[in-house]
Parts: sequence; C-alpha cells; structure tokens
Amino acid sequence: MSTGTPETLLESESIDLTDESAAGIAARSPLELFWRRLRRDKVALVSLGIVLFMVLMAIFAPLIVKVFGLPNPNTQNDDLLGDFGEPTGPSGAHPFGVDERGRDVLARVIYGSRVSLEVAFIATALIVIIGVTAGLVTGYYRGKVDTFISRVMDLFLAFPVLVLAVGLGVACADGCLGGAIQPGLPVVIFVITLTTWPYMARIVRGQVLSLREREFVEASRSLGAGDPRIIFREILPNLVAPIIVYATVLIPQNILYEAALSFLGVGVDPSKPSWGAMISDATSIFQDAWWFMLFPGLALLVTVLAFNIVGDGLQDALNPRTSK
Amino acid sequence: MSRSFLRFLVVSMLAVLTFVVAACGGNDNSSSSSTTKSSGGTTTNAAEAPAKKGGTFNMLAASDVDFNDPGHTYYTWGMVFTFATNRPLYSFKPDDGANPVPDLAEAAPEISADKKTVTVKIRTGVKYAPPVNRDVTSKDVKYAMERFFSVNVGGQYPGYFQPIVGSPAKPTKGVKPISGIETPDDQTIVFKLKQATGVSFAAALVMPITVPVPEEYAKPFDAKSPSTYNTHVAFTGPYMIKNDSKGSLTGYKPGKSIALVRNPNWDAKTDYRPAYLDAINVRTNATDANVAARQVIDGQSMGLDTNPPANILRDLVTKIKGQYLSVPSGGYRYFPMNTEVKPFDNINVRRAVMAGFDRDAARKARGGKYVGDIATHWLPPDFPGFKEAGGYDGFSDIDFFNKNNEKGDLAIAAKYFKAAGYASGKYEGNDEILMVGANADPGKAQAEVAQAQLEKMGFKVRLRLVPQDAVYTDWCQVPSKKVGMCGGAGWFKDFADPQSMLEPTFKGSLINRSSGNINYSMLNDPKVDDAMNKAALLEGDARLQAWADIDKMIVQDAAAIPFIWDKTTLAFSKNVNAVANPYIALWDLSYTSIK
Amino acid sequence: MASYIARRLLWTLLLLLVITAVTFLIFYVLPTADPAAQRAGRDPSPELITAIRHQLGLDKSLPAQYVDYTKNLFLHFDFGQSFINNTSVRSLIFDRLPNTLFLVLGAAVVWFVIGVSIGIISAVRRGSFWDRLLMGGALVAISAPVYWMGLVCLYLFSNDIGVWHIFPGSGAYQDAHGFFAKCWSLVMPWLVLSAAFAAIYARLLRSNLLETMNEDYIRTARAKGLSERRVVLRHGVRSAITPVVTVLGLDIGILMGGAILTETVFNIDGVGRLSFDAIQRGDLATIQGTTIVLAAGVAIMSLVVDILYAFLDPRVRY
Repeated sequence: MSTGTPETLLESESIDLTDESAAGIAARSPLELFWRRLRRDKVALVSLGIVLFMVLMAIFAPLIVKVFGLPNPNTQNDDLLGDFGEPTGPSGAHPFGVDERGRDVLARVIYGSRVSLEVAFIATALIVIIGVTAGLVTGYYRGKVDTFISRVMDLFLAFPVLVLAVGLGVACADGCLGGAIQPGLPVVIFVITLTTWPYMARIVRGQVLSLREREFVEASRSLGAGDPRIIFREILPNLVAPIIVYATVLIPQNILYEAALSFLGVGVDPSKPSWGAMISDATSIFQDAWWFMLFPGLALLVTVLAFNIVGDGLQDALNPRTSK
Repeated sequence: MSRSFLRFLVVSMLAVLTFVVAACGGNDNSSSSSTTKSSGGTTTNAAEAPAKKGGTFNMLAASDVDFNDPGHTYYTWGMVFTFATNRPLYSFKPDDGANPVPDLAEAAPEISADKKTVTVKIRTGVKYAPPVNRDVTSKDVKYAMERFFSVNVGGQYPGYFQPIVGSPAKPTKGVKPISGIETPDDQTIVFKLKQATGVSFAAALVMPITVPVPEEYAKPFDAKSPSTYNTHVAFTGPYMIKNDSKGSLTGYKPGKSIALVRNPNWDAKTDYRPAYLDAINVRTNATDANVAARQVIDGQSMGLDTNPPANILRDLVTKIKGQYLSVPSGGYRYFPMNTEVKPFDNINVRRAVMAGFDRDAARKARGGKYVGDIATHWLPPDFPGFKEAGGYDGFSDIDFFNKNNEKGDLAIAAKYFKAAGYASGKYEGNDEILMVGANADPGKAQAEVAQAQLEKMGFKVRLRLVPQDAVYTDWCQVPSKKVGMCGGAGWFKDFADPQSMLEPTFKGSLINRSSGNINYSMLNDPKVDDAMNKAALLEGDARLQAWADIDKMIVQDAAAIPFIWDKTTLAFSKNVNAVANPYIALWDLSYTSIK
Repeated sequence: MASYIARRLLWTLLLLLVITAVTFLIFYVLPTADPAAQRAGRDPSPELITAIRHQLGLDKSLPAQYVDYTKNLFLHFDFGQSFINNTSVRSLIFDRLPNTLFLVLGAAVVWFVIGVSIGIISAVRRGSFWDRLLMGGALVAISAPVYWMGLVCLYLFSNDIGVWHIFPGSGAYQDAHGFFAKCWSLVMPWLVLSAAFAAIYARLLRSNLLETMNEDYIRTARAKGLSERRVVLRHGVRSAITPVVTVLGLDIGILMGGAILTETVFNIDGVGRLSFDAIQRGDLATIQGTTIVLAAGVAIMSLVVDILYAFLDPRVRY
C-alpha cells in the first residue's frame, strides 16, 4: 500500500526558532514581519533592484546616453544604411545596432523606458485614485448608488479591454472631449485608465464590504464617529495592503498594455521612442535585422518580469500562505 | 461528470464546430506550388517575340482597387484593371509613355485652328461584353463624361474637363447634359472648349473618364448614391471581370479578390493589344508584403502588385536578377514648404533649406538608389520637357539646388541663412513647423527623415502621423490647417503633357482656400502664373521649352524640395514575361504573358 | 431553470444594448473631429460628406441619432459603410469572423490543456527542478508581450524564414486548405496567444491544488489507500479547478483582444487583423463594427457557456 510521498505535497513551515529565541519571543509589528519575509525572498530583492535600475535609467536617460557616448536617440544617420536602406547590426559604436533611420537602438531602448514607465505609473496612479474612490463609495454607502455604479462596473468588465481601448484610441486620434485629451500619450493614458478602473474598484469594494462589518468599525461608530472619520481612520488604512498588492500587479500590466497600444499604432508620439512602437517598426524587416526587434522586446520582458516578481514577493510577504 | 470537464467538453465542441465551418468555408485562392529559385536572365519591357498565348496569371496585392467604375477611379492600382477591361479614347503602348495611340478612337484627335474645338472619330465594331452586348457609340462617351460630374459617381479630376463649354462648376445632382459635347453621329464626338486649350485637352483624353458607358444600362445604377455601377461595369476591353447575366460583378470580392476572364465580345481586329493571358486572378488581401513577394518570386505565373519591400528588392537586384522590371513612375516626390507660414515665407530661408536638405537620405527611406533617381528639378525623366529642363543634371546655374548637393550642403545653406538674417548660418528663430506624415512606411520613413533634416538646420518641428489618406484630405490639402511642410507629397502624370505636371501643383490661381488644395506650397507668383497662361497655348517644341523654363522658375522660387523621380519595381515569377504600362507605371495585363 | 435562462438572456440583452451605447459614445460623441468627415474615406468632396452626414442622421439630436443607430444595428444588422473600402462593414467583418473564432477557440483549448497540465505537474513535483523551471517559464510567459513572442517564434521556427524550419510561418493560414492543414498553420499562433493565459492558470491551479492537498479529506483518501495519482487527479484537481475555471468565461474577452495582436503578427485574415488595418487607415466605421462584434461575441459566448452549465450543474441556478 503506497502512502505516497507526503513531503512533496504537505507543507510544514519550519519555524525558525534559533534566531528568535535569543531576543525572546518578541511581538513584532506587521510591518516588521513584512520586511523580514521580504528580505528572505532573494529573488524578489534582486528583481526590486532591477526595477529600481529601470526607474533610474528612465529618469537619467540623457545622462546615461551621454556617458556611454551614444548619439541622441532621434539622431538619424543614413551613412549607416546600406544601398537599399537596410540598417547595420550591432557593432562597437552601436552595441544594439541601428534602426531603419540609422538611429542608435541602445539609446532608443534607454529612452523608451521613459514612455513605458511614465505611462504605466501615471495611469496606475489615476486608476488607484478613481478605483479606490469608487470602491469606497459603493462599498460603504451601498444602496442605490452602489447598485448603479456596480452595474456600470460590471458592464465595463464585460467589455473586452483591448478591443475597447483600440476603439477609443482611434476615435480619439485627433483628440477627445473637445480638446481635453490631446492626441499622443494623453490618449493612451486616458484609454488605459478608463478601461481599467473598474477592476480596482471591484476589489476595493469587496474589501470595504467585509471591513465595514468588523467590530472595530462598529466600535468606532458607537463612539460617535461620523462616516468620513470611519472611512479615513478605520477602513482606508486596512485597504493599504490590498491596494499596494493590486497596484504592483497593475504596473507591469499597464506597461504591457501601453506597449501593445503603441504596437498597434494607437497614441504614438513620433518624437518619443517607445518599446512597443520599436517592435512594430521591426515587424517588416525582423528576419534580416533581428536586433531592433529583439532588444526592445527584451527590455519589456525584463522590466515586466522584474515588476511581476516583486509583486509576487510583496504579495507573499503581506499574506503568507502555507503552501509555498 | 465534473463541471470542469464538462466546460472543457463544451469549449472543445464549440471549437471543433467552428474549425469545421472555417475550414470548409475557406475560399482562398490557389497558392504557388514549386519553390524553384531563378538565376540570372534578362528582362525587357516590350514583349519578347513570339510570346505564348494562354495561361492564368496570379497576382498578389496588399490592397484592393479604389474603384472599378472608370468614372470614379483615380488610383493607378485600380487603373491596372480599368485599362485591361475598358477602352478609353486614347491609350499608351508599352514602348512609348509620351505619345498616346488611338484606342477607342480611330485616329489622332483633330484640333481646330483656333484650338477651341477637338473632334474624335470612334472605331466601329467595338462591342460591350455581356450582358450589354451592343456596339459602342459616341453617345456612350458623352454619357460617360456627363456622369463623371454627378455626385453619385464623383469623378476626381474635373479640372481637366471643365474647359468644356457647359460643363458643371460643381458636382451635379443626377446626370446633367453638357452642351459642349456634341455627337453629330454614332461615330463622331466633338468637344467645344471655352479657351484655346485644345492641345492639353486632347492629351487628357487618355484618362478613364473617356471610357464609354451605356446610358440605358447604367442609368438605374447611377441613380443610387453612391452609384452602384461600380459593381455592374460594362466592359469593352480584351478582358472583363466575371459577371452574371444581370451584369453584377461576381468576380469582384471587395477586399479579397478579383477574377478577370476574356471578354467574349472583344474583337482583336479592332484592337492593337495582343491579350496573351487567358485569365487573371488577383488576391487583394495579401497584406504581408514580405510573404507575398517571396511567394511570387519562388512560385510560378505570379506577379506582385507594386514595389516589393527594400530587403526583397535587394535580393532581386543583387542575387536573383531577371525577375524584376523597373518602370519610371513619371512623377516627382517632394516636400512642399508652405510659403504662407513662417518662417517659410522668406525665400532665403527656403533656399537655405533646399541647399542643406539631404535628398539621398530621403531616397534611402524609400528603398535606396534602385528606387529612383534623385531629382534636380521638376519634370521627370522620359517626360516631355525633361531634356529641355536639363535632364538628370538640372540647372547648373542654381547654386542652392543641383546635382552636387544631393546629400545636402550645409555651407551653401549657411550662406542663405545669413542672407535671411541668421548670422550663425543656421535657423535661429522660434517658429515651430507643423509637419504631417503618414503613419505607415514609406510615408512615415520619409517624414521622419524630413524632420531630422530640418532639425539639423536649427528648426523646431512638430511631426504628426496620421493615416495615409488623411495626410492629404485632412491636412496638406487644407490651407487653414497651416501645415508648414507636408511630410511627403507626390505628383504623378495624369497625361503626357508638362502642363499637367506643373500647373495643378504650383499655379497661384488654382489655390483652393477651403479644401482639396493641391498647391501645397501656396505658391502665388504672378510671373509664374503668367508664364503658365502663355505656355498653355503653345504647341510642339516651343511648348516644351516654355514649360521647361517654368520648371526653372519654380526651382528658383524654392517652393518645395523635389527629392526623387521614382521608379516602380514589378516583381514576378521566373516564367512570367512581364510588361509594364508606362502611363500608370504598373502592369500591362494585355501584353504580359506566361513563358 | 427557465427563469435562470430568462434572467441570463435579459442580462445579455442589456449588455448588448450597453455595448452599442458605449460604442456610440466612443465613435460619435467623444471625438473632437467631425464623424462624417472621419468616415468619408479618401478625397471626399464636400457633397459626399454632406450625404454621409445625412445618411448617419448627424443633423438630428443626439438621442435621435442613438435611436437610429441602434435600430440599424438590431433590426437591419447594418454596421454601416466603410468609405475607404467602399463596402459594407458587415460583409468585411463576417467574412473574417470564422478565422478569428478558429484562432481564439483553438487557443482557449490549448491554454486550458497546457495550463492545467503544467499546474498539476508543478504542484505534484513541488520544489523540484521541474517545478521551478515550469513556474519560471510561466512567469516569463506572463511578462512577455504576445506580439513579440510571435515575432521571436517566427524568427526561430518559421519554415520559410526561420533559423530552424519547423512550423508554417506568417500568412500560412491563408494558403492552407483542409482542416488539418489549417490546424498545423495555427500551431504557433495558438501557442503564442495562449501562453500568457496558460501561465496564469498554471500558477493559479498550482497554488489552489497545493492548498487543497492540505485538506482533511485528501488525507482521508490517502489513508484509505487510494493511489497517489487517483488522489491528485480525482479529488485534488476536481476541487482545485473550480475557481480556475470560473474565470475562464471572463478571460475569453481578453483572448479576443489578444487575437488582434496575434492576427497582425501572423497575418491571419480575421477580425483582429481587420481592426489593425482599419486603425492604420483611420477607418472609423470598420473599427466601430469590429468593436461591437467582438464585444458582443464575448457576451454571447459567456451566455452560451453559462446556460450549458446550468443544464449540467443545478447548483448554479441561484
């Protein structure tokens, strides 16, 4: 009779007593526990480093390009193109080769991080603001307001996101809302925000629904606290963790989202190199000029992967599960 | 059964169902089979004698024709089929793109002494294809030209035919008769003109507007808005699009394919065309140019619609050889500078830009030196007036624009910037230039090059990328949008006469302030206009010299930067005898044959 | 049962109405440009623009326009005219719909099969080299852009231009005849399109399975002497898979969006590719049509699957 190999499926989190016993079994705040768990996750730390590196690269792009002696990302050089306009590949002067206009691909990849991160961060911030507000209002106040907005959100959620985004992006190619949304990056941010806020709102709403029934909220209310006080003092602080977790999922998702939209040609600003647009430009000649399809794609992959791992690590550190 | 398994079953069943439907519903055209690579061989433009009759020619195209209706079509790709299936009054043979020959007409047009009357005699024995089946008469040409002006048909080049007495100034509701077109008998048509412009008018009779349309058959279609004649064309050429007994074009599947077969009523004795092929099948949704080009080159009996991608062109020229044909497009591509927008309102600034602009880089953006010759003035190669305008060398006495500064000469540019008041030799002002380009290559590529060229001379450029069609209809052609430089414009001959090459694009009196303006530079030089008016009335060598002089005046006015006289490259399979039509610079299906 | 179906039907109908309202908003109200001019195609005369404006009823009030628009859509199934192609949008879309469905549904099957298998394998071999490799690969699959993966696959494996000539390349679907040839030409597109989803599901299933395997009843099953395989597949997977599968319906929507990217890279003549070409040309009428059709497709597919479920699992009919 085989009893299988329990070790492969059963988990027993080994409680490390050695380093705790010395200081006594001290009570640790959730924040401290969080840091300890995060610090133990080496992979997440490395990825955090990569994320920081990318952010710094985006901020200091002009400096980096100068330091490496690379040309400006928009400088065209047709001497680097062959008789038929074909670009030259990686070389000493141009480690990532050049694109079809003779522009240095490494410089463009470095600058491309600006668009990706800028759009992703701004859009995520807006989504958090709008989503949390909507989630709070519907989750806390319930009633007719909740039903209406929830139905609206459900309907939004039923729409295939990219399809909606593409439609919006094209319709707004010359600007939308009477000029409030200018063509270019504002359109992309607008489209991403508009199509994604319901997801945030739904999660927040769910959290608020369960939080408002908790004892500490009841206690606060019985002490005479008004709604705003309860929302800001009691509920919001408890939302921080899930909001952060979802935001860390949103950022890499939005990076890919923006890249997909610029790949499709929606919201392109020709003066700013963007990873998605670079891949799109490469589609016609990638079989010969593999370099400017490969490097922007790798940049995207590495950035998003790093964010995803950090996100995973944060999630695990905030809500450790027994099965890991 | 578990819910998950059931869901899986459901999805798979749905999948299988759809697969079967999709697989059975596949109606794609046959693809090439063999994969032999060719090696060497030469190609000539005219058909090598003796060419074989028969065979089916398969074409791959990235886009559909604009229209089948000869009164509506204006893009050369559509005209490949228009001219294979219809007969205008005059046409061009493969070996001569400058002198048209009589097609539906019997002989050259008779121009009266005062040049205000043009008379054309029409051949007998030309019959419409089924289901119309009757002989063509002069009244059909008259109706064709009248319907051109109606809103439901929407002809796109009324300017060339508005010199006719009684022709409408604006699109008409319904088809209105034009008094200046007379048909004294079934074989004669007489045009009465408002001015003595008979010479250029006669040259314009090669355009599809003169393709005959049977009124009694077309009337009900033309009554619809837009006219449905587009899917019910009555054919007169050696080929026709497959249709049914009601004339409905069953062989035309929009955005997918076109099927041409022989016209049973075409009489070879009335036509100079050999019409070797038996059938032509076109796929109009082969959007991946790389894949399509390779299929054509490796396959049998196939042809590509137009220019292959640059890397394929490279293989064709350097490795494969013998499977491509270069045809001069008979036009120029240029970057117009809007003379009404700062800082391009200053002629010295414009001359500086022309001096410093790297035309070779712009050509590379389109595919490099095999894609065309760098332009040194306006009238293109093989075009009447080209030699008189200095040929490939251009005007040696114009220092800011000649064949020596093809890659841009910043020293000469500096000289003109200084003359404009910028001591540093570069532009120092603050005016931002609005440039609009297409969002897809090659339009996007050349716009980006233009932007870089301007920026290197000190300008600030705001580049907007929009869909190809919108570049003109929404931006460059709309003066109120104040586009500083159109990110790439092209003008190709409508017929073989220098007036049509220079007038629509540079005559001040033809500026249209609301929309549809083709004088993108907004050039309004009374000397130029005056010269044009005089030159329009000349003929023969004097005419050519006069227009060559106007070419020089336009260069001196620095209205725009012509950068390439391009060539179209046609790619085809090894067993194809490709012949091009020099008028549209694309395939001539009536002369192409299979070896 | 009947009331459940009725409720779902009503909800879907409402959904379709909302979809049309949203698309109306997007394509007629929001843009700054003139809707008639946006649809007028190349080189339009002022007369043509006026004719289109009248055809679209743009001279009437907004609510009246919306009513016309919806009526056209629901009663005549009329998606309008693309003046760039000079054809009815409906024919453009429905000619290509089977190809998109083939791609999307095939990818869904592949995603499900691969995702579930990997999830199970990883959970069973938890902590091993395989587990780490598979989960690492899953993370990469989630992080890479679909279209980029497509290009890389074409570069490496396409049988005409690739480094190794294995799979049919871009455009092969068009030229494939017969069911199996078409399936073969879609192998790379299916894998690429489903990769990210398979990865997500693999991870989800793995963690769910690991949690489930801790449950008491699993220990009981083992104690009863059932083989490990039976324990895992019969008991573990069955309950672990429920939350995973619940999400399947919603994600078809994302799959539709992903189809746009995949069809573009692999040159499959589907609705997604049609959208892409329409984006390039600014063909608003066609984009509007594809938006409605794809959104409606998602809504209808969810409805069908949910109703079929109701037949199979009575607990669902709340």
